Amino acid sequence: MQIQVRLFATYREIVGEGQLAWTFRDGTTVGQLVEAVLAKYPRLLGHEKSMVLAVNHEVVRLDVVLREGDEVALLPPVSGGRR
Amino acid sequence: MIEIQRNRIDVEAVVDSVRRNDAGAIVVFLGTVRADPDVRALDYEVYKPMAVRTLTELGERAREKFGILELSIVHRAGRVPVGGDSVVIACAAAHRSEAFAACSWVMDEVKRIVPIWKTEAGPAKRRARRP
Repeated sequence: MQIQVRLFATYREIVGEGQLAWTFRDGTTVGQLVEAVLAKYPRLLGHEKSMVLAVNHEVVRLDVVLREGDEVALLPPVSGGRR
Repeated sequence: MIEIQRNRIDVEAVVDSVRRNDAGAIVVFLGTVRADPDVRALDYEVYKPMAVRTLTELGERAREKFGILELSIVHRAGRVPVGGDSVVIACAAAHRSEAFAACSWVMDEVKRIVPIWKTEAGPAKRRARRP
């Protein structure tokens, strides 16, 4: 199945692209997708602990199973800022 | 009104979007780009569909949590020069206390969960601004 992977800010700069089209086996979970991305782009290693994952614009857990056409976003921590 | 836009924010239009005859208070917050050393502008990168969705949900939660009447949030994308408005929040309520509380809470949530990242742009640098 075809999955769109979106990368932002630091992750986009590390990978060099903000959007990737990847093919995965049916039944692949978000966690398995992250593992595949980290294996292909090892410079992302270490970022996974603070990474937020979203599928079709909604934050999800790693055990969510992907479906054909899903858009998975790897989101670095947002800007924050002092109050 | 929930919007992400590249052009300048019309603050008066944002305020007008929350006006109601049953409101006794409108609180407006402007987030502006501060002139830190070597900073001439901030570049905002936005995951737009998710940001719009998250901002819309924040508006709904603020209505339930504080009993406010109307809430608008407009955020810039792209480059905003020092002194420019990067975000405008307007909140209307029957009384000022809930309008102040809701506006403050919404801004904290925007910083915490909305997928918007900023990078400092200066004379010769580009780096993520520290929290």
